[in-house]
Amino acid sequence: MRFVGRGFLIGIFCLALSLPLASCGGGGGEQASESRPQIAKETPLQGGVIFRHLESDCKTLNWVLYNTNYEIYVLRHLYDYLLDYDQHLDIVPVLAESFDVSKDGLRITVALKDSLFWHDGEPITSEDVKFTVDKILDPTVPAVNKEGWFSRLDDVEIVDEKTMVFVWKEPYGPSLHALTQLAPIPKHIYGDGDFLKHPANREPVGSGAFKFEEWRTGQRISVVRNDNYYGSPAHLERVVFKIIPDRSVALAALKTGELDEMRVNQIQWDEQTDNADFKRKFNRQRYDIPQYNYFAWNCRSIWFRDARVRRAMTMLFDRKTVNAELYSGHAKIVTGPFYVNSWAYDSSIEPLPFDPNAAKQLLDEAGWTDSDGDGIRDQDGIKFEFDFYVISGNKTAIRFAELLRESCERAGIVVNARPLEGATFFDKMFKGEYDAGVLAWRLDNDPDIFDTFHSTQVPPIGLNHTFYSNPEVDQLLERGRAEVDQNKRRDIYHRAHQLIHDDQPYTFLNSVPEKRPINKRIGNVVISPAGPFDFYPGSIYWFVKEEK
Amino acid sequence: MLTYTLRRLAYLIPTLLGITVVTFVIISLAPGNPVELIQSGTMSSAISIEAYNSMLHLYGLDQPIHVRYVVWLKRLLTLDFGNSFLDHRPVMTKIWERLPPTLLLNVASLVLALLLAVPLGLYSAVRQYSVFDKVGGTVLYMLYSLPEFWVALLLIMFLGVKLQLLPFIGMESIGARELGFFGYLGDRILHMVLPVICLTYGSLAFLSRFVRGSTLEVIRQDYIRTARAKGLDDTRVVYRHVFKNTLIPVLTLLGILLPTVISGSVILEYIFSWPGIGALFFEAVLSRDYPTVMGLSFITAVMVLLSTLLSDLLCAWADPRITYE
Repeated sequence: MRFVGRGFLIGIFCLALSLPLASCGGGGGEQASESRPQIAKETPLQGGVIFRHLESDCKTLNWVLYNTNYEIYVLRHLYDYLLDYDQHLDIVPVLAESFDVSKDGLRITVALKDSLFWHDGEPITSEDVKFTVDKILDPTVPAVNKEGWFSRLDDVEIVDEKTMVFVWKEPYGPSLHALTQLAPIPKHIYGDGDFLKHPANREPVGSGAFKFEEWRTGQRISVVRNDNYYGSPAHLERVVFKIIPDRSVALAALKTGELDEMRVNQIQWDEQTDNADFKRKFNRQRYDIPQYNYFAWNCRSIWFRDARVRRAMTMLFDRKTVNAELYSGHAKIVTGPFYVNSWAYDSSIEPLPFDPNAAKQLLDEAGWTDSDGDGIRDQDGIKFEFDFYVISGNKTAIRFAELLRESCERAGIVVNARPLEGATFFDKMFKGEYDAGVLAWRLDNDPDIFDTFHSTQVPPIGLNHTFYSNPEVDQLLERGRAEVDQNKRRDIYHRAHQLIHDDQPYTFLNSVPEKRPINKRIGNVVISPAGPFDFYPGSIYWFVKEEK
Repeated sequence: MLTYTLRRLAYLIPTLLGITVVTFVIISLAPGNPVELIQSGTMSSAISIEAYNSMLHLYGLDQPIHVRYVVWLKRLLTLDFGNSFLDHRPVMTKIWERLPPTLLLNVASLVLALLLAVPLGLYSAVRQYSVFDKVGGTVLYMLYSLPEFWVALLLIMFLGVKLQLLPFIGMESIGARELGFFGYLGDRILHMVLPVICLTYGSLAFLSRFVRGSTLEVIRQDYIRTARAKGLDDTRVVYRHVFKNTLIPVLTLLGILLPTVISGSVILEYIFSWPGIGALFFEAVLSRDYPTVMGLSFITAVMVLLSTLLSDLLCAWADPRITYE
């Protein structure tokens, strides 16, 4: 049952399974997110073990094949990326010593650091990088969450052992971002044998600050410090990832010290961890993550083909009250398809107000009036009555549906909430076989939204599952994707943001912070705008504080 | 008897075929497919329709359903269940890896349940309407109706968190392997206590009531009255004459209970982070991992059919009145 709400988290636009994931919470209040690193006042203990939480077992530890967020927790310790985002979300070289983008943006030259070694002692070379890209693009390798970034790549030219040039077929806005999505894997290990069934998929040889130690299926995965790391070595001796699928049990484990951190949901945050006893032992971290929840309106359906109706739907839904009720008032209302804390998001755009009267007027204008006097709006003999899909068992999503139904009822619209099992739900949503539904997107650091809003990207080809179509937006998204200058891209995406906001193919609901208590014995927890893990160095320099 | 057994075994084949056809069709027709599920989470800017199709091809899902079934069946003849869609490992390996934890838990629970249920049931029957029978009956009925997950969470809260008496996560402590044989065994047993309690109390209630019922029936038989009339003492009557005959219906029941020994408990394995078959099956269904679902369904089906056969044969062996000639 909990499967919905887990997984599907990585990559651009990962569908964060409707709202379960949106584990609610606030953006202010106690322990609000800190985007600056804490200065390590505590003395790090050299050594020590910490226990991290995995909600599900990993499928693979092959970096090319992974596609869940549990796997990336572990892989971030084992592999470093060519480039990466730092804690302020600026792109920095990691395995690379330097990188250089040509004037036309078509060639990116990358030089690797000297003295880089795989965990087995072999040197890391440009051959390994090229090998990794080839595997990502190999049609027999399901690397779905990485393939997209490299499909416009023409070639990786190897200059020498440490230098390579990424040659792009056309100017590509996210080209540098693509290199932050690339962690090389060792060619000398994966070069032979069946890639999908390779033994190293469960016993990886990496490049990162930690080495693989042990994987006990369904129980735990552990990694140990790599003393030959090219950067300064980690403080921790070992990190153990414990697989505990049930959240209540995980919270029990957190309290008994069997776990040091976990992601909690709203109820756990408000009711089970909000007491002095708990706070004495744990820092309750609450921080924004690149994610937003939305109602999808099928723009090809008879009801939602008119932008006025979609605007009315948004104005019928009281986002503020919902935030107060479901998220203790701390979720942020969003107005567009970008991460609220990113440069692409235009924060000057005001959200549509909650205004049922104006909404009714818009509905009247769009021709939806109650002509037969039965209390339900209609047009050309068709009643305004639609199905609203939610994932069954997802309480937050179901509550959203109830609230929508109540406010629509007062405006003469009938909403039939239909809970569907996870796989069925996504099948319907992404084939466009629905009227409306509630979902969430997990966003990537690059704002390219071509495949979710461009009119050519409708099902079954792309992810524009509301069949949204606006020629100006199309043009902007094409330009934004082909532009490498970030300032120009900002203007382009701000304009697109405004247009999409005017058209409301989605009702943009909110961006919900993640909530994660972390044991106070751990020091050096840094939280970036992408959360505590998804940047470099992420959690690899966490340490256990010296006892006083 | 031998011909009967052989005939029953031969009947298994069409039954099994039927079961696999139905399972295969149902799981394949359920909306969503593994490629979509992998992609719906992660489809990125340039995932093209070609990439989608090449993945379908990779998993053999571009073939029509009957072709896929025949391919699956052919593989089955060599006992090859194919590779999991999720991690590309052979389904057989995955099942073998998960089987020992599930067996450990369920065998322990079944043995415990039988050891407790048979004497409880016998005693209640012999002392029918006594305080023990009435109170015991009520308590057992109450236990039977308590949901497992609720009891499990309560036990975790009290014994695991408040009193910190028992571990409640997984099968072993980290580093348990360095404790030596007895340390390791002790650690494993401690980890089993809570899940076994939760698995057992329900079947205990059910089994002991069952034993009580069948004992009551036996006690009223003429031959028991005869035994008593001969002047045999109570103990002998119960052990010699009643007990043995009571076991016949219990044997039939084993036919139902045995397959559950390998199928695992989805909820309890989930709560206790127990890496067993139940957890594997649940995950496989949700992610539409057809090969794993089919592999597990097939094995469960074989177990059900074989244990039904086994319990029929055992009945004939235990009860001379039943013959299959």
